[in-house]
Amino acid sequence: MGAAGIVLRDVHKAYFKDRLEIPVLAGLNLEIAPGEFAALMGPSGSGKSTLLHLVGGLDTPTRGSVRVGESQLESMSESALTAWRSRHVGFIFQMYHLVPVLTAAQNVELPLLLFRMASSERKRRVQTALSIVGLGDRTDHRPNQLSGGQEQRVAIARAIVTDPDVLLADEPTGDLDARTSEEILNLLNALNTEFGKTIVMVTHDPRAAGHAGRTLHLDKGVLDREEVNARKTAAASAS
Amino acid sequence: MDLLLTLLLRNLGRNPRRSALTVAAVAMPVVILVLSFTIVAQLNRFLDDSAAQLRLAVAHKTSIINPLPYGHKARIAALDPQKRDIIAVVGIAWIGGVLANDREPLTTMGVDADEFPIAFTDHLLTQQEREAWQRDRRALIVGRSTAAKMGWKVGDRVTIRASIPPYSEFSFNVISTAPKAIDPVANWCHLSYVFEERARSGLPESSVDLVSFLFVKCSGRAALERYRVEIDRLFENTPDETQTQDEKAFLNQFISQQFDLPTNLTLLALITIAVAVLAAANTMNMSFRDRIGEAATLRALGFSARFGAWLSLTESVLLCGIGGCVGVLAPVIAFGYTPIGDVQIPLIVRLEIGPGVCVVALTLALAIGTIAGAWPAIQGGRLRVIDALRSLE
Ligand SMILES: Nc1ncnc2c1ncn2[C@@H]1O[C@H](COP(=O)(O)OP(=O)(O)OP(=O)(O)O)[C@@H](O)[C@H]1O
Ligand SMILES: [Mg+2]
Repeated sequence: MGAAGIVLRDVHKAYFKDRLEIPVLAGLNLEIAPGEFAALMGPSGSGKSTLLHLVGGLDTPTRGSVRVGESQLESMSESALTAWRSRHVGFIFQMYHLVPVLTAAQNVELPLLLFRMASSERKRRVQTALSIVGLGDRTDHRPNQLSGGQEQRVAIARAIVTDPDVLLADEPTGDLDARTSEEILNLLNALNTEFGKTIVMVTHDPRAAGHAGRTLHLDKGVLDREEVNARKTAAASAS
Repeated sequence: MDLLLTLLLRNLGRNPRRSALTVAAVAMPVVILVLSFTIVAQLNRFLDDSAAQLRLAVAHKTSIINPLPYGHKARIAALDPQKRDIIAVVGIAWIGGVLANDREPLTTMGVDADEFPIAFTDHLLTQQEREAWQRDRRALIVGRSTAAKMGWKVGDRVTIRASIPPYSEFSFNVISTAPKAIDPVANWCHLSYVFEERARSGLPESSVDLVSFLFVKCSGRAALERYRVEIDRLFENTPDETQTQDEKAFLNQFISQQFDLPTNLTLLALITIAVAVLAAANTMNMSFRDRIGEAATLRALGFSARFGAWLSLTESVLLCGIGGCVGVLAPVIAFGYTPIGDVQIPLIVRLEIGPGVCVVALTLALAIGTIAGAWPAIQGGRLRVIDALRSLE
């Protein structure tokens, strides 16, 4: 599947608590090109996760348009969004969210249950995804027998096994030490450069953001500035 | 989908103690249900067998514990001198009975020796038995389960003390253990022997020739219906009016007088079922809350709300289904293959748990699972994915 671009136009998102409107996003505009790796930074509570959820079709904007690839998400029903997610996005969470009673391979296989596919084909895809993330040999371990870094690799394998256009990662290294974070970021980088996945990664860590091609800064409901990572751009044009 | 099955089964084993308690909570009412249905069904079969015997039971109208004058027998017989409709009239005097060294009460009754084999054909099977019965005024037919319990055999001499005044001691010769009798408990002796003992003990003459009931063997359904009414009419406005019923109604009244078994057992089963639903629902709710993050993750991956609901519901039904199997197998094994099966239940020879009641009980267990799983399933369907995800961070 080819990479998809992301276009947000005048996106508003507000939550209601006790009839009180809490505006989170206020007229946000954003364009991410197909195959881009973007980092999203901003203070806590600025709406980074909210934005990621909108792009991933987990939530819908109060106003404005969200387009991912060919799909106009704001006009889709809940069940259409659910089906869309299974084909077009892969989520990576800070706390991995693996199913504890299933092995690494079974966790990765899970999203493939949503596809009509021969069991042998499923197994082959699971094996491929696990070897891409560098876990070809720990496939029978349960999450509690894996380290945090390994759990996140399993989660990434689960996100890519359906070959989605877009990967959405919410603080994927937030719970990992520096060295493991570096490994995970390199892995995301490889998925971006070698497999052409469009990636949006939320992070609090500027060094993590440095792995992305562009860093977007979210504040007070809008993107107030962005910076292009020179090192990354140089590396990309050199390859 | 073997991965789905794996997920379901592993989820069941996730909190083994909780699952085990739920299985037990479901198994218990299933056991009660299986036993009560079986007992009630066997009682009904016993009553139906009695009904097929075409006998009327004549008791005192005031109360079944009031005795009737033995003279009623001749007057009833005189209603049909040709014996076309009324084949035999049998006087029955209940003497109960206890053994010298045993407190267990017995059910012993004196009956008209000549008519008994005609009216109660299921008790004396062989020519030999019938001859022994007629010849020996101390003959005793012992119910087969009573015989088994007491270790009595044909040819034994047993002494029984009556449970009612004048508490005479009777000395009997066991001549049959009635292997085919519908009633496996009751013992039968000669009525004349009972009257003799009463007279000998010095009871006033008016208290000697009394019977507890009269049984009237009829030739067919029509005769049964006709004399059910006519006998009572015959004694209308006399000091000893009668109440005549068919044997099924008569016995049923006896059983329910002691303890309304069907109603009580049903009530008990209903209460435990309600408890099981609560226990299972509680388990499923706790499991659901424990796994809310997983439910949200599955949704993020693209699984539908309906799938989440299905997962909860299936787990609940599976868990309760296991409880149902345990609840069915426990009594089947206990009563079929262990000494528990020898336990005595009045009027029931041996509990035989049929396949029908097992199916009903299993269905019930699955219904408990469905009800218990419904709430978490609805919750799962309504789950707001982003809120659930956020609650985990
Ligand atoms: N369901 C909700 N109801 C009310 N307010 C909400 C809800 N979800 C989010 N918010 C509010 O929206 C704002 C943005 O939340 P969001 O999680 O997107 O921030 P974030 O940038 O991801 O923060 P963090 O860096 O802490 O993860 C916060 O103020 C939060 O309290
Ligand atoms: Mg966040």
